[in-house]
Amino acid sequence: MSTSTIPHIFSKKTTLATRIEQAIFWCFRTATYVVLICGASVFLTIIYRGAPTIFKTEAPFINTTFFTEAPETLYVFEFEGEKREMGDREFRAFKEIHPAAAKVPASSYVYSAGGIWPAIVGTVLLVIGSMTIALVLGVSAAVYLSEYARDGAFIRFVRLAILNLAGVPSIVFGLFGFGLFVTFFGWNVSLIAGWFTLAFMVLPVVITASEESLKAVPRGFREGSLALGATHWQTIRKNVMPYALPGILTSSILGIARVAGETAPIMFTAAYVIRDKLPWEDLMHATDFFFQGVMALPYHIYVVSSKIPQNEFTERVQYGAAFVFLLIVALIATASIVLRNRLRNRYKW
Amino acid sequence: MVTTEIPMATRSTVNSPPSTDPRPQPREVAEPAGATLIDIDHLDFFYGENQALFDVNLKIEEKKVTALIGPSGCGKSTLLRCLNRMNDLIEGTQIKQGTIKIRGVDIYGADVDAIELRKRVGMVFQKSNPFPKSIYENITYGLRLQGVKSKSRLDEVVEKSLRGAALWNEVKDRLHASGLGLSGGQQQRLCIARAIAVEPDVILMDEPCSALDPISTSKVEELIHELKEQFTIIIVTHNMQQAARCSDKTAFFYMGKLIEFADTQTIFMNPGHAQTEAYVSGRFG
Amino acid sequence: MKRFYDSEIETFRSHLIKMGESAIRQVNDSIKALVEADVGLADRVIAADDELDQWEITIDEEAIRYMNMRAPVASDLRLVIVGMKASHDLERVGDEATGIAKRAVRLAAEVPFKPYIDIPRMAAIAVEMLRDALDCFLNGDEQKAAEIILRDAEVDALNKQLYRELTSFMIEQPGTISRAIELMFISKSLERIADHATNIAEEMIYLAKGKDVRHRPALKKPDGN
Repeated sequence: MSTSTIPHIFSKKTTLATRIEQAIFWCFRTATYVVLICGASVFLTIIYRGAPTIFKTEAPFINTTFFTEAPETLYVFEFEGEKREMGDREFRAFKEIHPAAAKVPASSYVYSAGGIWPAIVGTVLLVIGSMTIALVLGVSAAVYLSEYARDGAFIRFVRLAILNLAGVPSIVFGLFGFGLFVTFFGWNVSLIAGWFTLAFMVLPVVITASEESLKAVPRGFREGSLALGATHWQTIRKNVMPYALPGILTSSILGIARVAGETAPIMFTAAYVIRDKLPWEDLMHATDFFFQGVMALPYHIYVVSSKIPQNEFTERVQYGAAFVFLLIVALIATASIVLRNRLRNRYKW
Repeated sequence: MVTTEIPMATRSTVNSPPSTDPRPQPREVAEPAGATLIDIDHLDFFYGENQALFDVNLKIEEKKVTALIGPSGCGKSTLLRCLNRMNDLIEGTQIKQGTIKIRGVDIYGADVDAIELRKRVGMVFQKSNPFPKSIYENITYGLRLQGVKSKSRLDEVVEKSLRGAALWNEVKDRLHASGLGLSGGQQQRLCIARAIAVEPDVILMDEPCSALDPISTSKVEELIHELKEQFTIIIVTHNMQQAARCSDKTAFFYMGKLIEFADTQTIFMNPGHAQTEAYVSGRFG
Repeated sequence: MKRFYDSEIETFRSHLIKMGESAIRQVNDSIKALVEADVGLADRVIAADDELDQWEITIDEEAIRYMNMRAPVASDLRLVIVGMKASHDLERVGDEATGIAKRAVRLAAEVPFKPYIDIPRMAAIAVEMLRDALDCFLNGDEQKAAEIILRDAEVDALNKQLYRELTSFMIEQPGTISRAIELMFISKSLERIADHATNIAEEMIYLAKGKDVRHRPALKKPDGN
């Protein structure tokens, strides 16, 4: 390699422009790393603090009780010289065996024992239902807006309204849901009320992303199809929608994360602090399934973090729940991504 | 007096012996006048407030190739898109005066279904737009829309259309490969095959070769020459040599008006209008 | 790759060949009419000139149409242009043959004062040159074309020689003047026919190689003819 230092017409020069470029490059790099560090620290904290709750040192290495049991009150007491911690049921059974234990003073901590299984179930149900409603409504609206609607003052107003909807605070959605679905429609605190409230919250994202995906499909596909004598709907169904699906699913991934994690909308509309029965237990009619409330993970974390006195035991549950929450969202998102990639390969253009 | 025709261009085969009569045979008599398929009568077309076509009167003959030439923005593509009502897709377009009749039916009449019209008047676009499906699915798209399901019929149509588009030998082994994997010229021929699969009466071609290299262009031109025995073809082109090579009749447009419409030979050898002469000899602008 | 209008060029070529053969026939027949004093043949030659004229018109029309509609380049364009020029040369050859025929009619009425030796010889060379030129057209033989150009000198020499002979005849026997003059004109016609054949040969070289070899003294005999 030549190490000639003789300057020629293409030599590198340090000018103001190149210096500025270097500086800007470092700014962008730093910004990215800051984001990375913040994100990492959040995740790592949760993982670090939540891991003791999730994992055990002995087989099967996972604290299955946490995943499969409902929350219980924790009793901490001293018995025969040992400090013991027990959940409510275990404690009762213990007292049967050792009647003397009944007289020992035990401090109790609500929700600090047992698991979060009902909350997991509730969150998953809420996500699935609300995303279904959001996708159906949102994609239909997007198709109408991008393919059928003629530009005019009204349509511009509609688009503006959708954009504004994206900026509405989630607590306002909660109040809206409470007012309309819970009270006015008379659905009470129920799954279905939560579904619709969450769906409306995530609708703007779905509509905008779907519209963008539909617009990204080249005009040539539509023209070519119409020129062969297809109706507008035939063209959209066969030649536009399949190719816009990957983009639509991407928006759904974003939507899932939001829907799963919002507390405010479900506080008044779907979530119970504690519920003994799982949604499919003790149903008198099949439709009762929709009109019952559920527990939800974000709400549970909120309850455990602020509604009850804080101590080392509640902390365990908080971080454990947060960890599980992250896992669930990651799982659903991964499933979405896999589905999207499959569709992308099938409908490549 | 029987005129023996000196075999030329469209009518000869290589093996037929040239005539021994040295007298030049009049070409105009040799090609019989065709029936009028499309009758454009006093057409005024507007994009919103802007008038794009002014009092256009044109009769397109059946089973002939008609070329529409003229400088950019003269309205030839607009007229083409009027013929299969693709202009309906653009907002604000309207015909304020005049009619377009195909086989005697006013295609902008209230009882006319544009979908049915487009099944009989096909279109090939400037930028080839094969669907991102397999070659087979591309060609059967139009038929499937009409409800044809029988596999044997679809197979038959695929082969016939691909042969008709001079593409069969190149793709017969990969009918289920993606249409996007073909070269530019092949893609355009695929679009032509797709258009002829529904057996239209008319094929509209909007600058079909403008994005193609010379060899693909001449293959497409050869194709047009063969197709005109079955279909009426109307081609918009910027390339004057192409119009001279391919077409039987040529219409010259300028600024939305039809300046001259005659046999291609007349337009290029002895145009009637000075503007036509200036345009074909490249002295425009 | 075959183009769909290739048949037009094939037709054009065949028309040129036909015209060439027609011209050669005219020259042969006119000389035969002279030598054999065949007035009937001479009349037929004169009538057949029409055909050659029509061929020239047809070929020109086809050439112009082809240039207009097919925008030929390279060898196609050279062929069309050479065709137009060659057809003109061949038409002139036809006119010369007609002139010979007309003089043959006049000479047939009179007794030949010398045997026809040189004139048939000149005619033979001229016709051979024409035929060779047509051959060159068919197979693009540049060598042969060059040879044709050289042979023109032979015809020129023969022509000069005949002039001298006939001049001395006219001086010695004034009664033969009218006949001798006709023969001189016929000889001049044959010399012109050979010139036309040379032109065609030059055009064929241009067609085959794209080289314009006209008006190059180096190619002709050093005596400057």
